[in-house]
Parts: sequence; C-alpha cells; structure tokens
Amino acid sequence: MVLPAAVRAESPGLWTLAWRRFRRDRVGMISLVVVLLFVALTLASAVGLIASDWAKEVGVSYAPPSFVGPANVSVPDERSPARDTSTGAALDDTDIVDPLREELIEIRKALAGGSSVESRAATLPFGGDKWGRDVLLKVVKGTETSLLVGLAAALLATVLGTVFGAQAGYFGGRIDDFFNWLYSVFTSIPYLLLILAIAAVLNQKGTSTVVLILGLTGWTGIFRLVRGEYLKHRVREYVQAADAIGATDTRRMFIHILPNVSHVVLVQLSLHVVLFIKSEVILSFLGFGVGVDTVSWGSMLNEAQNELLIGNWWQLAAATLAMAVLVTAFSLFTDALRDALDPRLK
Amino acid sequence: MITKVVAWIARAVLVLLAVGLSIGCAVAAPKTLRITFQVAESGFDPVKVSDYYSGIVIEAIFDPLLTYDYLARPPKLVPNVTEALPTISSDGKTYTLKIRPGIYFADDPAFKGKQRELTAGDYAYSVRRFLDPKNRSPYAFLFEGKIVGLDELAARAKKTDRFDYDAQIPGLETPDRYTLRIRLNKTDFNFSHVLAFSLAGAVAREAVETYGEDTNSHPVGTGPYLLKNYTRSSKMILEANPTYRGKIWDFVPGDDASDRDIAARMQGKKLPQIQRVEISVMDETQSRWLAFQGGQTDMEYQLSEVAPIFLTSDGKLKPEFARRGIKLDRSVDPEITYTYFNMHEKLGDEPNPVAGFSKEKIALRRAIAMAYKVDDQIRIIRKGQAVRAQFPVPPGVAGHDPQYRSSIPYSPQLANALLDKFGYKKGPDGFRTLPDGKPLVIRYSSTPTERDRQFDELMKRSLDSIGIRLQVHKDRFPELIKLENQCRLMMRGAAWIADYPDGDNFMQLLYGPNSRQSNNACYQSPEFDRRYEKARLLPDGPERNKLYREMTRLMEVHTVWIMGDSRYRNVLLQPHVIGFKKHPVFHTEWLYMDLDAPAGK
Repeated sequence: MVLPAAVRAESPGLWTLAWRRFRRDRVGMISLVVVLLFVALTLASAVGLIASDWAKEVGVSYAPPSFVGPANVSVPDERSPARDTSTGAALDDTDIVDPLREELIEIRKALAGGSSVESRAATLPFGGDKWGRDVLLKVVKGTETSLLVGLAAALLATVLGTVFGAQAGYFGGRIDDFFNWLYSVFTSIPYLLLILAIAAVLNQKGTSTVVLILGLTGWTGIFRLVRGEYLKHRVREYVQAADAIGATDTRRMFIHILPNVSHVVLVQLSLHVVLFIKSEVILSFLGFGVGVDTVSWGSMLNEAQNELLIGNWWQLAAATLAMAVLVTAFSLFTDALRDALDPRLK
Repeated sequence: MITKVVAWIARAVLVLLAVGLSIGCAVAAPKTLRITFQVAESGFDPVKVSDYYSGIVIEAIFDPLLTYDYLARPPKLVPNVTEALPTISSDGKTYTLKIRPGIYFADDPAFKGKQRELTAGDYAYSVRRFLDPKNRSPYAFLFEGKIVGLDELAARAKKTDRFDYDAQIPGLETPDRYTLRIRLNKTDFNFSHVLAFSLAGAVAREAVETYGEDTNSHPVGTGPYLLKNYTRSSKMILEANPTYRGKIWDFVPGDDASDRDIAARMQGKKLPQIQRVEISVMDETQSRWLAFQGGQTDMEYQLSEVAPIFLTSDGKLKPEFARRGIKLDRSVDPEITYTYFNMHEKLGDEPNPVAGFSKEKIALRRAIAMAYKVDDQIRIIRKGQAVRAQFPVPPGVAGHDPQYRSSIPYSPQLANALLDKFGYKKGPDGFRTLPDGKPLVIRYSSTPTERDRQFDELMKRSLDSIGIRLQVHKDRFPELIKLENQCRLMMRGAAWIADYPDGDNFMQLLYGPNSRQSNNACYQSPEFDRRYEKARLLPDGPERNKLYREMTRLMEVHTVWIMGDSRYRNVLLQPHVIGFKKHPVFHTEWLYMDLDAPAGK
C-alpha cells in the first residue's frame, strides 16, 4: 500500500508541536524576548563586559539623576565643618615614641608631593547611592545576583523535588510514606518562617547560602506534582513493557517515565524561578541575604527605606522597576509555556 | 417648629455632655509619656545588664545614693537618698554616708504586705552583688579591686561556689541602720560618681531572693517609678511609684534663656509629674519617625538617618516643624564610638592576625586605621549629625582635651606604602598576604541590621583601598557581646556613653585587668596600665590630663582603636512636653519633666 507523501513524512514530536503552539502566543513571545534580554544582561555582567566597576564611587553622595538636575545640598558635603582632618602634633607634650616613627618618616619623604584629588560628578544617569555609586550599574549587578540566585535555587529545588517525587511515586509503600512525612514536616511550617529559621541556623552570608536556603525549602510543591505523575505512569503499558524487557527501576524511572512528565517539571522550574527571585529580595531586605560585597535588588530596597524618607527615590525606583519587569515577563512566559506544553489545560 | 427646637436642645445637651465627659476623662487620665527604644532592653537587674536601654528603666526604678543637679553644667553631684554629700576622709579612702530615714521600697509581694524601709544595709548588699560570681556582672569593674575585703570575698565564693553576703568586711560597714561607711584600697576622690551611677541603686535582698533567677523582670526599688507591665522586647509600662518619697523641683537655672524658661514652668512642682511612661521597642528609624510625626510618641531622638527632613544644614529645626510647636533639644552626647582591634593572641583556637606588639603587626593595624574614612562615617552614615572624636574622653566629661588631635591621619596612600614596607605583598588577586605568605583575612563583626550594613560597606571600601580582604561576621547583638567578653571577635565597632562624667569611665576601657569586661579590645599594655593606675589616684586636673594624653598617644602608637565620633542627640519634643533638657549623665529625665496637657488623645 502506498501512502500519500504528506502522511509519510515524520510526524512532528512533542517539542516541535509545543514550540509551534508557543510561537502563536504573542504575549508569550514578547515576554520570552524580555527574559532573554535579562539573561543576556546577566551573562554580560557575569563575565565582566558591563558593570564590572559598579563599586566605584563616581558621583557625590546621593547624586540625583541627570534628568532631575544637581541637588541643593541636604547632606553636608566634603567642605562642611564636620570634616576635620587636622592631625598631628598639636599639644603633643608626651614622650611616647611611635615604634614606626623611622619608617613613617622615610615613607613620607618618598611620597612627598604626590597627592591626588578625585573629582566626582554632581549627577548620574539614574542617580547615585549614598557612597556615590551609579544606581544604574547597581541594578545591572543586582539583576545578575537575583537572576542567578533564582535560576540556581530553582534548579536545585527542581532536582530535589523530581528525584524525591520519582522515588515516592514509583516505589510507593514505605519509601512513599517517608517522603510524604518529610513533605509534611516542611509544609507544616509557614514558608517565610521556615527560610528565616534556616537562614538563622546557617548564619552565614553569601549568594550560595541564599541558593541553598531557597533550594532546600522550595522543593515541596514540585515533589507533590511529580509524585502524582509517577503514580499515574508506573502502571501504564509502556512501563510494563520496559519491565518485561528487563529494564532496571532506575532506567524505568528516569529514562522511560521522566521524558513523559518533563513538561510538568519544566513549567514548575520556571514558576519557581519567579518565586525564588522574590524570596531572595525578601531575604536580603530582612538582612539575611547576600553579603556586603554583593548587591541584589533586595539589598537595594533595604537601603532605599530611609533614603525614600529624605526624598531620594531613585534607588527604590530603579530596583523596583527592574524587578517588576523581569518578574512580570517571567510569569507571562511561564503561563505561555504551560499552555504550549500541556494543551489539555486549554 | 417645636420638634425642631426640641431636637436642637437635645443636640446641644448631647454636645455639652460629650464635652463635659471628655473634660472629666482628661482630668482623670494620668499624664502619660510615650516613647520608643531603638534596641530591645535586656532586663532590669542592675548587676546583670550593661546596655543603655535597660539602664533607662533601671534608673527610673532604683535610687543610687547620690544623684546630679538637673540643670547645672558641668554636672554637679547632689544627695539623693542621703542627708548630704559623703564625708570623705583626707586620704580619699573612707566615704561615710548618712541615709535619710523614712524612705520606703515600692510595695511588692516579696515584702509580704509590710512596708519595707531603705537602710544602709541595702546598699552594702547591692554593692556585694556586683562581685558575686553567679551574677557575672558586666559592670563588676565599678567595684572590683576597690573596696577593702570585697575581692577576697569574691575569691572565696569562686572556691566554695557560694557568695557569703553576711560576712563582715572592713570595706562595707554599717555602724547603724542609716550609716554606710565604705573603705577603699586606694585613694580615689572620684568614687562619689560611682555612687551616683544608676546601676549602683539599692535593691532589696528579699526581692532578689524571692525572684531568684528572674530578677531581670521583677525590679523592686525605691525610685520614682515602678514596672507595671512588661512584654519582653516589645512593651514596657511604668507608673509613678505611690510610695515614692516625693521631690520638689528646685534647681537654679544658668544664663541660658531656655533654662530660665524651664525653671519658670517647673519651679516648686511636686515630682514626678508624669504619672505613666509607655515604652515601645521600634527597630526601624522610619517607623519611629512616622510615629513621632503622627503624634503617637511624645519625644524621639534616634533619628539621625532621617535628620535632613527636620534639620537645616546648620543644625536648627526647620521652620515648618517649629511652626507646629515642635521643640528641638540638641547636644553632643558624652560618648565615643570606636572600632577596636582585638589584641588577644588567639581567637578561640585560631591565631589572631591583628594582635601583637611587633612592628609589622602595629603597621597592619595602623594601615587599617589610616584607610578608614571617619569623615564618611560622619558625613554619610550619620548624615552629619556627629562630631569627630579625637580623644577617648568626649566633650562634657572631666578630662576631655579639646585641643588634642589624633596622630593617625586618613591616608590610604601612606597605608599602602607602610604595608609594602613590612612585606604584606599583594597576590595575583590584588589582595595582600601576611609577610610569611599566609592568607590575610580581616574579620569584622556586626549585627544583621541595615544600620550596620552601612558600616560593613564603609569598612569594605576602606580595606579595598589598601588591598586587604574583609570577611563580615554577622550575629545578633547579645551573641556578639558574649563572644566579645571572651576576647573572640577580631574587630567590632563599639560605642561607650558616660556612666558618670569623669574621664576615668572612658580610660578604664583600655585598662588591662578590665579585659573580658569593658576592655573589649583586650588591650594589655604595662605602660598604659601603669599610667592608668597613677591617674586613678589623682583628681581632675592638669597632672591627670597629661597622663590621659600620654595614655591616648600610647593607644594610638599601638593602634588599638580607630577613633570614631560623638553623636549629636537631636531630641524632638511634641509641643506639650515641658521641662526637658538633656542631662549629660542621666539616662532619662522623666522625673524632672512635665506634660502640658494629657497625652493619648
């Protein structure tokens, strides 16, 4: 029997179909572009192409944005009377000898004459923070931290959730009971309280700590879904067939079943990226987040609390805007992804 | 028509009733002062705490033997529960005090319904408590090594595990019910200040024994207030002590116009006028500012982060606030802030890279001190609301030297050259190593608050400028203090406010034997200690000042502290608060103030 040519051609796979559906979603496409732009920004700043000198103090303290114009000084500037650098021998009637006296005289002689005067800008493109660092560069650097933390933590949580869920759903029985017990323990504590408690226990600052905290607490939702999928799939015919040809449990779990539930995992992954970006901001805002040599949106918002009261709104605005755009775009992208991967939901 | 009139009359009667009622209430409602704490208190047992905020409440509840004149500047000692100032023997070693009869402790279940009179024995008991090893008092240094026989008693208690409160010692004698005789080991003409310090107030032995471990939440004293209601770390309500002996406001104003105004409004009033004090703990500056703005608090001073809102750049209240009748009381606190280097050789089990008196170690500390920009601390973190501290004794405290200038300049350039010279070489990552090639990391401890993050950033910038790696260690304040008292923190920013207006209170912070108590740098220098011991025997004067200058220079050449600043206290007062003038020693002025109209409306 001869089949018509069109039918003979290979039928498109799951991913091709999903991509076709996704491309039809205009909102999804736009948000994908926005997310990709943010990722590109993050990569560029991570390899040092941009914003590598964000910590440099280029402007005066709280330099306003250029479009606002220079400030009428509310914070005393460098010339204020509070600045009193006079040091030295005034009224030195003591006979205490400095053990470093000789060395300092020598060094002073060698250094004589060479003093540099730094000049600082009165305004910056989008304002400066209290040390005079450019807020725009800080936002870029903060995007890097926040996005990396979000992605890494979501990856960790997804891996944990998937592995636990697969074990529980596939084996059932005692193993299932154990993981369910673990799940109940984690979910019985309010989420924010739990991450604060773990943060207090770890008591160590830094980006990796935040990733660990979020990853270790955030796997529960994914676990629940993946377990359900595995319960459903392990009795399907294709799995029984794999069993018949002698595939091991691990092989059946991760080679046979996993590809068939991967769309669920993928949607969960992107949902959690958004969740963890927000959680990182909360953690840093509460002072449990990133260390002093890192900047994140959360730490910027934390700084902005008192700045806002004295009328310096730009740091708050910049961090909020960046976060709002990314979180919104990522959420819309995730929605579109789910629609594309799971057409039955429509 | 008639119904209209009736309705009108009914309405008028209602309005009149309402007005009458509100006046009635106003008369009945106690005068209530509402304030905030920026940091939570730790407790109210005078021998168990060392923080400022607990000290405020303790001062309102307990009575020290002596106190200070409210208006006199510099602060002048006056009797509190005694007939007169102490009689001091000519060698400055024996202090005799006569307590006024008829002063009673506040009623408390511990006294089983009986009135309990204050006696000389209560003070002897209270002083002994400081040395009881069980209490581990952070303020033991007030009496340690000073009173004849007391240290031996403490040493014996360490062995037998029981402090003998009934043992007779020659240093604390009570020849009769109201007479207290204190004998000192060495001459000390400034000891009266210790007797006026709020933590040296009298506690009742019955109360201490009744409440056992929980004395921190059951303060029982003879002072003007008592603790009515206490929710830990959140809310404290104090009420006027009904058994308080009473006091009449009678102080001589100075030349200052505002002093005279205060005296005119307060003279002859029976104290305390304020019947109730409500204290809320509020961490965030923003919340405290909004609470004051909204009229929910009557006075507020911990506002430096938002100072540009209400202060002009020359430190005056902005006209829009003055128009609302808000008043500003501005003074420099008798305090210093400083960043110390731990001078102890070991931090727990690890070696301490910043300790030691060798030239290369001094050079390391000196370089860090030269890289730390105190001006930015004042200009940016304090928003200009502080003055630079050059001398360990702040302005307003006997022994302060306004002419003194630190010998350590701000100069990262010099600091870098100094480190190069002593072999702290820069590695490929741009950070320096120790001269022996081992990695060099400075660990700086602070609390996880936004306020401290600014100091972390400043320290980070400073150390970056000389290529030294910084690690920030975060913990809660009580934990940091615990580690600090074991000499286990490498560096921390500390602050000290005068307990009494004498330079000794500041110089003792560097006295070797006080390490593990108030000497948080754990600095032990025989040269310094020798001078300190000599200065302690001298009254305030040129001779002692010269010793203080030498001690300060020593601290600088050894570079134990990076001197910071003394903050302005900008106290904002609602229009109805009267009689307030910040006293340089008192923690609180509630006793001497008044409210024009009842608050809480």
